[in-house]
Parts: sequence; C-alpha cells; structure tokens
Amino acid sequence: MNGYRLGAIGIVITFFTIVTATVLLPMVLFNPKPSGHGNNYVVANIEVDPARGRRIYIREGCFYCHTQFTRPQDRGYGPLVKAGDYVFETPHQLGTARTAPDLTNEGGKYPSEWQKAHLVNPRAMKPGSIMPSFSFLSNRDMNDLVSYIQTLGNERPVQAYVQAPDEYKIALSMKTVDTNSDAAANAGRGIYTQNCSGCHGLQGTGNGPNSISIEKKPANFTRPFYKQYDDAFWFYRITEGVPGTRMPRWGDGGSLWDPRSGLLTHEQRWYLVAYLKTLQKDAEVTVNKLDQLDKVQQTKLPVLTRQRFEPATGGGD
Amino acid sequence: MLIDSILSDKEGSASRNFLVSALFWSVLGMGAGLGGALEFSIPDLVHNVPQLSMPHLRMFHVNAVTIGWLSMGYVGSMFYMVPALTKTKLWSERLGNLVMWAWNLVMVGAFCTLLNGNTEGREYAELGAVLDVMVMFALIAVSLNIYMTVVNRKVKKLYVSLWYFLGSLFWFPLVYIIGQRTFVQLPGLNDAIIGWFYGHNILGMWFTTIGVGMMYYLLPRLTNAPLYSHGLSMLGFWGIALFYAPTGTHHILQSPVPEWLKAIAVISSIFLLVPVLTVLTNFFMTMKGKWGMVVTDLPLRFAVTSSVFYLITCTQGPFQATRWINWYLHFTQWVVGHAHLALLGTFSFILSSAVYYGLPRLTGRQWYSQGLIRAHWWLKFLGFTLMMVSLTIAGLIQAAGWAFGIPVDQWGLQIRPYWALRSISGVMIVLGQLIFAYNAFKSLYVPAKVEVKAKPAEVKA
Repeated sequence: MNGYRLGAIGIVITFFTIVTATVLLPMVLFNPKPSGHGNNYVVANIEVDPARGRRIYIREGCFYCHTQFTRPQDRGYGPLVKAGDYVFETPHQLGTARTAPDLTNEGGKYPSEWQKAHLVNPRAMKPGSIMPSFSFLSNRDMNDLVSYIQTLGNERPVQAYVQAPDEYKIALSMKTVDTNSDAAANAGRGIYTQNCSGCHGLQGTGNGPNSISIEKKPANFTRPFYKQYDDAFWFYRITEGVPGTRMPRWGDGGSLWDPRSGLLTHEQRWYLVAYLKTLQKDAEVTVNKLDQLDKVQQTKLPVLTRQRFEPATGGGD
Repeated sequence: MLIDSILSDKEGSASRNFLVSALFWSVLGMGAGLGGALEFSIPDLVHNVPQLSMPHLRMFHVNAVTIGWLSMGYVGSMFYMVPALTKTKLWSERLGNLVMWAWNLVMVGAFCTLLNGNTEGREYAELGAVLDVMVMFALIAVSLNIYMTVVNRKVKKLYVSLWYFLGSLFWFPLVYIIGQRTFVQLPGLNDAIIGWFYGHNILGMWFTTIGVGMMYYLLPRLTNAPLYSHGLSMLGFWGIALFYAPTGTHHILQSPVPEWLKAIAVISSIFLLVPVLTVLTNFFMTMKGKWGMVVTDLPLRFAVTSSVFYLITCTQGPFQATRWINWYLHFTQWVVGHAHLALLGTFSFILSSAVYYGLPRLTGRQWYSQGLIRAHWWLKFLGFTLMMVSLTIAGLIQAAGWAFGIPVDQWGLQIRPYWALRSISGVMIVLGQLIFAYNAFKSLYVPAKVEVKAKPAEVKA
C-alpha cells in the first residue's frame, strides 16, 4: 500500500481497539456467577427432556417473537431477571421483538395440557392470537417443548409483588378514612353495590350480569390472591382502572391532590378499599356440580366478614 | 473447455455472475419475507408444513436477503467498480467465479437447512457450521482478489470508495469470524454481547460501508460531476470506522449486561450522527444543481432515493439508541421498520442502482425496457413507504401497549390492520423485484429481436 501505510495502520488499530473494548473486555470482566434462579438443564425426569425442548424452541424459531428477559418497566411478567440467571443459556434466547408475550416466567402459568393444545391450535385457546400452529411437531417434540416452557422462570421465586406508583404512597398519607374499620367497610358496601356489582357481582365473585359480555373477565375478590394488595394498591387500581380490561378509571376527571375530585371522591374510594379488603376468603369456594353454581344471583346484600354489630337494615341470610 | 465455461476468465464475468445470482436469491428471499408477512395476517394460511411456518420463512428471508441478495450484489458491484477505479483488470476472474459458485452453494445449503429449522439459533448468524466456514473462506477469497487488484493499480491515488471497500474487506471477515460463535460455548449474556456486536456490525461494517462506498462511486459517475469534497469524505470514513463498531450493545439496553458497555454503545450511537451527516452533506452537495436529472436518469433516481432513505434511517438510529427512547420503542415493530429502512430502503436501492448502471457496461447489452425500470422503482418506492408507515404505526401501538402494561392479546387486535397493510406492501415489493429480475433476464439471455409490428388481430388475441 504505497503511500497509504498510515491509513492502513489506522484502520487496523481502530478496529482492534474497538474489538478489545467491546468484545474481549466484556468476556474477561463480565463473568456473572450462576444465581441459582436460572435454568441449569439438569435432567430430573427421564420421560421428558427440557434441554431437548430448548433445542426444539430454537429449531422452530420461537425466539423471533417471544423474548426471555423482563425489563424494569414490564408489568405482569414476573420477577426481574439478573445476570446470573443466564449462565447456562447458550445460545442466548433473549430475543429481539415482542410480537408475542414474554416467556421469562412462563413456567407454571398454564397447565401442560393447555400449552400443548395452544401449540396445536393457538386460536382455540387464545382468540385473536397470530401464533403459527405447530401441529406438525411429533408427540415427543411437543412433550419436550412443553416441559421446557414449564421450566422457564420456575427457579425464580417471587420476592416483591407489583406495587402502586410512588405518588399513591403520598395519596396514602392523605387518607382520611380508617380502611380497617367496619364502619368504613359498611359505608363502602353501598358504594360497591351501586358502582361495582354490575360486573364484579354482589358478592365480589366477579360474576355480575355484565361479566357475560366482557372478554377479560372481572376480578373475583374472594380469591385469597387479593390478600396481598395493600391500601395504596387498591386505591391505585380503583383510581386508574386496569389497563386492557373494561375496569373504568374511577378517579377520572380528578387529581390525586384534590380529595373531592373524580367520579368517586377520594373518601368514597377509601370506603370502597375498606369494603374490598373484607371480601377475601381463605380458599376458593368450589362446587362439584353445575346446579350448585349460582347461575342467577339472588338480590341480597353480602355478609360482612368482620361484622361485630348487625346493622339495622340489610344484609345477612 | 468445461473449465472455461464454469470458471470463466473473461473480463467482467465474475461481476456479472455475482449480480445475476444476487437477483435470483433476492426474489426467493423477498418472497419468503412476503410469505412470513402474509402469515401474520392469516395465521392459518399454511397448515402442517413445517418448511413454510413463519419462523422458518423468516430465517430464510433474513439470510437470503443479507447473505444472498445484498452481499452477493455487493461483491459483484465491487468486482466491476474496483477495476474501474484502479484502471486495471480484476486480479483473478477465475477465483471470482469460483467464489461465486461457492457462495451460491452456501445459499442452496441455507435454503435446505433453514427452512427445516436446522439453525444455530443465533439471530443473523443462523447458518450452520459448514456454511459458516464456507462463507468465511469466500469472504477471505474476495478480500484477496480485491486487495491484489488494488495492489496492481494503475492510478496512484485511492478514491474514497476504495477506502470503504478495502476497510470493509479487512474488518468484515473478522467480524464474521467473531460473530458466528460456531465453535464456542459462551455463557448466555456474553453470547448475547458478541451476538449483537455481530448483528449490528454486519450492518455497520459491511452493508453500510460498502453501500456508502458504492454511492460515492455512482453519484459522481451518474451526474458527471466531481465529488463535492474529498476531505469531508475522509472524515465520514473515519467516523464510521470509529463509531459504528462499538454500538452493538444498544440492542440489549434493558438486559442485565454491564452498564459501562451500554454506555459505550449509546454514546457511540449518538456520535454516529457525525459521519452520517458528513457523508450525506457530501452526497447532497455533489447533487447540487443536478436534482432534475432524477426524472430521466433511472439509476440515479435509485441512488438518490437510497441516500434520502439513508438520511431518515440514520437520524432514527441514534435517537432510538438513547435509553429513554429505547425504553419505549424496544421490542416493537418500529425496530423492524427501521431495519427494513436500512436494508431495503437504503442498501437495496443503491444496489439496484449499481446493477442498473453496471450490467449494461459489463455485458454490452442495453436494458430490455426502461418502462420496467420505472415500474420497478415505483413499486419498490411506494411499497416500501407503505411498509415503513404501517410498521411504524404498529410499533407505536405496540410500544404503548407494553408501556401501559396492556396484555398482548388486546393490542394484538389493534395492529392487525397494519399487518394487512404490510402484506400489501410486501406484494408490491416482491412484484418490483420480479420485474427487476425479468428485465435482467430479458436483457441478458434473450437475444434482441428486430422490431416487428404486431398486427391488430394478434394484439387482440
């Protein structure tokens, strides 16, 4: 390269400096230890092989639409991942585009039979899904793939549940209602009956008359799951509604700083919180036969669980 | 002699063969992309045929348009541009033709393996071990061929295109070797870091640098005007060489990889505005006073369209790479639109321009039909604009869906019209490419006939 020696040296030096900085250095400096929360693909079950399932996941190109890492801003996709979770994930399946749900913590979300049916005919299980059908997979492939899906995130225990945004902690400090008192719960019952029972049902079981026509079914407040909700989170859900569902924003038109604003005032919302906190049962109530099911609800007011004094009117069996 | 017909040493044959093969694979690759796009709209279009399921089509689509169409076209274009710039012959036409066959063999292998899902599972590095090694040797052979041509040059000074070509042919084989990770097993996140070093640099150190080099060659040739500034072009070259390579990690900004690596990636992504704007200033100033030529000069029209799309894609890029915009837009179809803006909007157009300019000069045959070239441009331009708009809107809807925590099956319904629009745009683009291939076939392989006026009766029939 007559006369261009300097240029050639420059290109070589530039390129190798960059490779050193961005390829070699991370390989040397970045060695996360296994966190114990990621998969290690040790086969525990001889019937199905999650490691082989992972190879089928790759073969069928699942990673073009499904990602496998939760970001700090993702809601409803489980615990955040850590660097040590990926030590045994080669080749990485982080993914690039989310045309489909994130699968980081998919394991255990649905029964295996559901997963298999969903692979064969996605639209039967999730109307409106655009996932291709994988009905061409052999039975063994299908079982291994499902076993792999069921291992995703299983080693990652839940440490913190979803929290209300910070401004609701301030709203909590402005609270004027004792949400643990029976009086407040009683006051909330009326508000609930007027505003919420249409969808959530009179007993909070999520089977009000409107629930028939709603695709995303209303919450069943008698589930023990709702025991984990704290006051701020209940208040947040009532105020802002639930994205992706028909749940309205009861704080609409108001602000967090003006207690008298919104469709329901702050006071009314706090009464509602007090009532909602009384609805949870220790276990789901199940029935064995269809005719034991409350198909049509009788118009009767629900029983308050922490009732000390029978109110003058309403309620009770 | 058989060897002469297979490994011809006729001047320009390697270049011509590369360009024709590139056209062939482009039709297959873009067709696979269209098939995938249709399956987004009609998910049950193909049932029980694993070879035609969306992910397999996508694997083949990506590899056929990058390794097949763009890379083969780039090599073909370099094989005629470098001898023209150095005023000498290609060092070895036989080696060039050998590489051409090997490269086609790789693509046949890719067709057979990827559609069956025999992949390494690494995005943009899907090809299996044997094919990887073949591509590597092919790249090294191309480098050798071009470097030896430049060594034998009759012109002392190296034009800026040659800087780009020589630089790319030095670093891209290395990027390819580093990026494939065929024979190494790295822990997950390290694998991802190298994966994105490769995934971004196949664009940054190969498609961009060769494409810009081609633009530097074509614009002055097509407009018969000197380049605006040689100094600016050097600034652009060194800017790209410095700032493009470390940007890969901006693809995994929210994953638990080291923060310092993310910082390097974001900062160098923003600095990329410098070379991009210098390069484009140079192009647009070269075009000064000649903009009217795009009406009649069709290869120039392709080149100018390409540089305008380059402006859009490279202003999007640095902003997308900043943390706060990435926070919102990552994982959405916006990014897919951005990728198509670079590879289809910018580099496919400049490659089309190079083919339209180069093939007549290589073969001595004029284009069969100017009208078909016009049709190709309009179908590609309108189709691509439609695709870009629909993917961008779909991406914004998706981004809002993720930001507000709305379940996938809810926003999934909202973007279905945009999947349909993208399928339509795909039909237009594939049709444009088919017209391109048909035009090339007619010009190269069908002997030009003496014009005979058809009788009215024959026209009616």
